[in-house]
Amino acid sequence: MRNRVACLAAAAGLLLLQSALLAHHGTAGYNTKDPVMVDGVVTDFQFVNPHCVVSLNAKDAKGEDQKWQGELTSPNHLLRAGWNSHSIKPGDKITITGWRSTSGANSMWITKTVVNGQELKTAAGD
Amino acid sequence: MGLLWLAVAAPLALPAVLLAQQPAAAPDLSGVWNLRNSPQTRYLSYSFMGEEPPMTEWAQEKFKLTRPSFGPRSFKDSNDPVNPTTLNTVGCFPPGTPRIYLQPFPMEIIQTPGRLMLFYEFNHFIRQIWTDGRPHNTDLGNTWFGDSIGKWEGDTLVVDTIGINDKSWIDRAGHPHSDQLHVVERMKRTDAATLQIDLTFEDAKAYTKPWGGRLIFQRHPTWNITEMVCEDNVNFDEFLKNEAKGAK
Repeated sequence: MRNRVACLAAAAGLLLLQSALLAHHGTAGYNTKDPVMVDGVVTDFQFVNPHCVVSLNAKDAKGEDQKWQGELTSPNHLLRAGWNSHSIKPGDKITITGWRSTSGANSMWITKTVVNGQELKTAAGD
Repeated sequence: MGLLWLAVAAPLALPAVLLAQQPAAAPDLSGVWNLRNSPQTRYLSYSFMGEEPPMTEWAQEKFKLTRPSFGPRSFKDSNDPVNPTTLNTVGCFPPGTPRIYLQPFPMEIIQTPGRLMLFYEFNHFIRQIWTDGRPHNTDLGNTWFGDSIGKWEGDTLVVDTIGINDKSWIDRAGHPHSDQLHVVERMKRTDAATLQIDLTFEDAKAYTKPWGGRLIFQRHPTWNITEMVCEDNVNFDEFLKNEAKGAK
């Protein structure tokens, strides 16, 4: 089921700001039981350790910009899955699916990436 | 004629102890190897076996204080010495032996006469396993990866490691170990594309009996070990700050 930004924004508004704890290198910081899908336009792509990061602008229900960010695996793993540092560029149309941060921020661990209509697989199939 | 003389004489010049440890045709373990996990379980390998290891009281007390970010007991504010997820905490300490195997990155085995090197992609750590017959040397004291010597038993390289410091966890689930940890690895290729490593851990201070596990690695002939620097985590600060802000 496709959860839309608008639905999530309403629910997330109820969440209090959690303690400023970092959540990378594990799934403890993500809500793995409630996948979220966001469509938008890429503003930045960082192909860096420890994990690659995509930034995008999405539209909420009122048509206003919402900034989102998504976390991918490390560049080493993406390289072996066929990616490179130019696989995603600012201006690309992107749809990311994944697990939202438990803090309620517009931030997710990406499980599926579709760029300009083409899915970019994130595993080398090993 | 000269070459022929060299071919005959060279082996005679080698120390007897070296010849004893280096079979005429030592099995070739070289190559880039990756734990054979599915993409879905790539990040779930947090321990060497599926049940709780037999901890002593000493280890149980230490275990209560560890806050791993992986495994059944995972925390958002992890104090993992390798990947802490608490602000203003120093991390990137070496995973040490044997935990390095559970970091989700491949390794390359570089095999030379008298020495085998395990070149781990994770932070480019290297373990040297001496196969030239030398005894253990712990003059440096206890270290993150310890002192490793290997002996061939048929097609299996038996690696013996001691002198490991007690600063690392034995796995990614936060199980401790002491500086008495003794690791034995039995490495062999079960076919052209598969490497099997059976690990046994003895540590009377931390565990009531020896335990361990079996790791299966797949060879990847087209892969190279690439740069992976743990300290690059600073690149991630902006992402983490945004994530911690919570919903607006």
